[in-house]
Amino acid sequence: MIAKSEPLLAIRDLNKQFRGLTALDGVSFDIAQGELLGLIGPNGAGKSVLVNVVSGIYGATAGTVSFLGSDITRLPSYQLARLGIARTFQNIRLFGRMTVLENVLVADKRYLTRPFRSLFAKGAHDDLAAAEDLLERVDLIEKRDALAGTLAYGEARRLEIARALAGGPRLLFLDEPAAGMNEREMQELAAVIRSFRPALDAIVLIEHDVALISELSDRLVVMDSGKVIATGKPVDVFADPRVVEAYLGVEECDD
Amino acid sequence: MIQDYVMQTGVNILLAWSVYIILLSGSLSFANGGFMAIGAYVSAVLTVKFGVPLILAAVLAGGVAFLFGIGVAFPALRTRGLYLILVTVGIAASVRAMLESIDYVGGIQGFSGMSGASPWHVVALVVIVGAALWLLSRSRLQRILDAVREDELVAASMGINVLYLKLACFGAGAFIAAVAGSFYAHYILFVRPDEFGILASVYIVLYVVLGGMNNLWGALVGATIMTLAPELMRGLAQWRPTVFGLLIVVLLLVRPNGLLPFRIPTTGRAKRRAVKP
Ligand SMILES: Nc1ncnc2c1ncn2[C@@H]1O[C@H](COP(=O)(O)OP(=O)(O)OP(=O)(O)O)[C@@H](O)[C@H]1O
Ligand SMILES: [Mg+2]
Repeated sequence: MIAKSEPLLAIRDLNKQFRGLTALDGVSFDIAQGELLGLIGPNGAGKSVLVNVVSGIYGATAGTVSFLGSDITRLPSYQLARLGIARTFQNIRLFGRMTVLENVLVADKRYLTRPFRSLFAKGAHDDLAAAEDLLERVDLIEKRDALAGTLAYGEARRLEIARALAGGPRLLFLDEPAAGMNEREMQELAAVIRSFRPALDAIVLIEHDVALISELSDRLVVMDSGKVIATGKPVDVFADPRVVEAYLGVEECDD
Repeated sequence: MIQDYVMQTGVNILLAWSVYIILLSGSLSFANGGFMAIGAYVSAVLTVKFGVPLILAAVLAGGVAFLFGIGVAFPALRTRGLYLILVTVGIAASVRAMLESIDYVGGIQGFSGMSGASPWHVVALVVIVGAALWLLSRSRLQRILDAVREDELVAASMGINVLYLKLACFGAGAFIAAVAGSFYAHYILFVRPDEFGILASVYIVLYVVLGGMNNLWGALVGATIMTLAPELMRGLAQWRPTVFGLLIVVLLLVRPNGLLPFRIPTTGRAKRRAVKP
């Protein structure tokens, strides 16, 4: 027997309450090394809350999250980020008064983990080449010196991704990166996600567009009312009557 | 007379920078009058009662304020926004109340016997602190602080230890305010707790708000104008405070982001850009 390789992230019985409202209700699933996991579910299903709990923005009410076997449930978000867990925000949160280039440069782990040493260290310098390469890949190099707050919607979404990637994460959560994009922009985004995929251990993509998520994901986890209601390959999941009822039934509510 | 202006302006610039340094990490502090008081009193006791040389006394007083600043900021930083501002107001009020009740330093009557500070001490300090802030403004640390100030939750989610940076800024701001207070006390020769109350803190914050909060020059210009303007208005006699107050209101209306609102990108190459709120 070959031992099953350890999951990158293991979520077990995760529960999150907001004064009486149960946002996560016993969520358990693994994120395997190398996979692109699609996380879907109707509005209010708890997808963003899950990302917020895993990335340490909210504390879990109960349950555990382990990263490569070690318990990270109680770690503050900056330590989770240092372990290599990155995320984007559904409601774009760029550093609006900083330039596009600065938004990417600030994520450099060499300095943000030792902010004072970055002042005095010999040979400390910005990795401009890497930052510009990243901006090139998300097609923002022309906007390099623009203030992030002045970007158009689609550009801002792409900068969110570039900034999350700039820290060199192992696991990346993308919370509805394609929200509000048209068909062409979505295809460009899909190409971007595919292009950086080899550099990461795993990606979790939250997305409402069935075609896009089916195309990109190896596996889907479906949530509804704070619970996981189905997991599996995209074709199988969308054939599951519970999923059709819970998720596809409200598809027209997408933004 | 000129010496008095130099002294007063220099001290106020340092105080404005002490608020600016705390603001770098996103906290608006009305406690700096209190930090200044700690500097003034601790250094005064050291020189008058223990014969410590002035410069050493100022550094030690800065160290005491540094520890005090971190000590009060640690619980205070559990609060956010308006609540944090109110807590800093409370800190300034308690420092004053504390000094008033310590008989060893003269209580409400004040404390005297200090001497030996010259305006050149303060000019030198302005140059040193200004140079440090200028180096900082071009550094990665400045960029990291800007990220914290823009959105601390996102900054944390990228790996920045937000609390650590905020505490460091409180400590550094308290240190600068206390050193300024030390030289002030040894120039003015006599200090009383009520000089360092909430009103003093409000003035210091006003220097920064009027000057501009996004670069080191704003605090310098704001403090200079606010210190010298009342002197230039001497001819207005009893109307001086009224005109001065109106000047502040007009400035805030005309330049709500301060006289020098721009932020200089930390990447060096890019040009200056006005920052909109
Ligand atoms: N900070 C909060 N305080 C209280 N309730 C919250 C909070 N954040 C989320 N919720 C609630 O938790 C539930 C799950 O919300 P969540 O944002 O995770 O949904 P979602 O699956 O991401 O939906 P969408 O597709 O609309 O983004 C919702 O009922 C929401 O109102
Ligand atoms: Mg969501």
